[in-house]
Amino acid sequence: MRHKLFGLRIGVLALSAAAFLWAHHSPSAEFDMTKKITLTGTLTSVDWINPHIKVAMEVKGESGKVENWGFESNPPAWFRRVGVSRADLAKAIGQTVKVEGVRSKDGSFYGYLQKIVLPDGTSLELVSPNAAQESGR
Amino acid sequence: MKLHLLCLGMLAALLPVVDSAAPASSTVKRAAGGHPDLSGVWQFAIDLPPVALKKEVNGKVAVNTLDQSARQPAKIQIAGALPSTPAPEYKPEFQEKVKYLAEHESKTDEVFYCGKPGVPRIGPPRKIVQLPNEIIFFYEDISGDPYRIIPTDGRPHRKNPNPSYYGDSVAHWEGDTLVVDVTGFVDTSWFGEDGYFHTDAMHVIERLWRSGDNLVYQVTVEDPKVLARPWTEPPRIIKPSNDPLEESPKCVETDAGKLTNNDHHGQR
Repeated sequence: MRHKLFGLRIGVLALSAAAFLWAHHSPSAEFDMTKKITLTGTLTSVDWINPHIKVAMEVKGESGKVENWGFESNPPAWFRRVGVSRADLAKAIGQTVKVEGVRSKDGSFYGYLQKIVLPDGTSLELVSPNAAQESGR
Repeated sequence: MKLHLLCLGMLAALLPVVDSAAPASSTVKRAAGGHPDLSGVWQFAIDLPPVALKKEVNGKVAVNTLDQSARQPAKIQIAGALPSTPAPEYKPEFQEKVKYLAEHESKTDEVFYCGKPGVPRIGPPRKIVQLPNEIIFFYEDISGDPYRIIPTDGRPHRKNPNPSYYGDSVAHWEGDTLVVDVTGFVDTSWFGEDGYFHTDAMHVIERLWRSGDNLVYQVTVEDPKVLARPWTEPPRIIKPSNDPLEESPKCVETDAGKLTNNDHHGQR
């Protein structure tokens, strides 16, 4: 029971994070917030630009054909202030990463990155600002 | 008499806590000229996503959060602050325009497209260097990293300065408060989110003073062509920062073509 409740809490946190994508534009105006996607592929580039950082990856589709996916995420100033630099992601270029996010409404291979798991197992995830308190920290 | 005391008591209970950290003027850190020393690196004050980062390494979880208090109105009453209101009051004939601009921000706001926010939208400086005859404000912004060199030697505004986003600034001291007077603006920027447009007649007065280790920043905007009356924003408390300034990465807006509506956005 305790685990179930914990799982529910994590689920709520994930939804909260989705709702808190940066307000540069309304997230729902560009991304389908109800459909989370999880992709595993090869990280090909990391662009540290405003107003959103961008990462690209090659993902093998169901047909076996390689799809070139792009993701944007929070601005560089945000990543800097939570202790993440470009090098933390760029060190994984050419290696396999797992990305979770929401997909662009236009159906293109584009999304908003909410979580990335690097080859060494390090996980970086956008979460509710209350997560620190809720996790007991 | 009892009723009178009761009313006073109720009034006191309604007032927020006064900024008790404000030191007596004699204890303020002072520069060589005797004025308070505002020099230093100050907390980042532009809008960032209200999310935290959960980092997990080898099963060890850490959650890093942001302190965005420098962007928000002070939550306590600040000694020395001017009376303020949450929003400007436009003349009746311009209120629909403000509403339209705000509702179409992703189409009408230069800042959405990496444009300069200008003064006062950019907020307080990230770094201040105070010299005997001038004070220099440095900023970090998504659009770039502007600076302002502001004379404090009593000279007047330049004659016929070219219009700019950060304006023509001169400053003087009123007691322990630095008062920065800014004119000469372009008429395409906004002085705040929510469609706060202005004309070339905009006149901005920034007030900065020390409150203990913190800086207080308060802005008044005048534009008699469109505003019903001058607008004084709520003061902000800016904490000192150990985070050195860093060049902002270039800005390339690519989302506009993918948006399915004109939803509001916010940057600063």
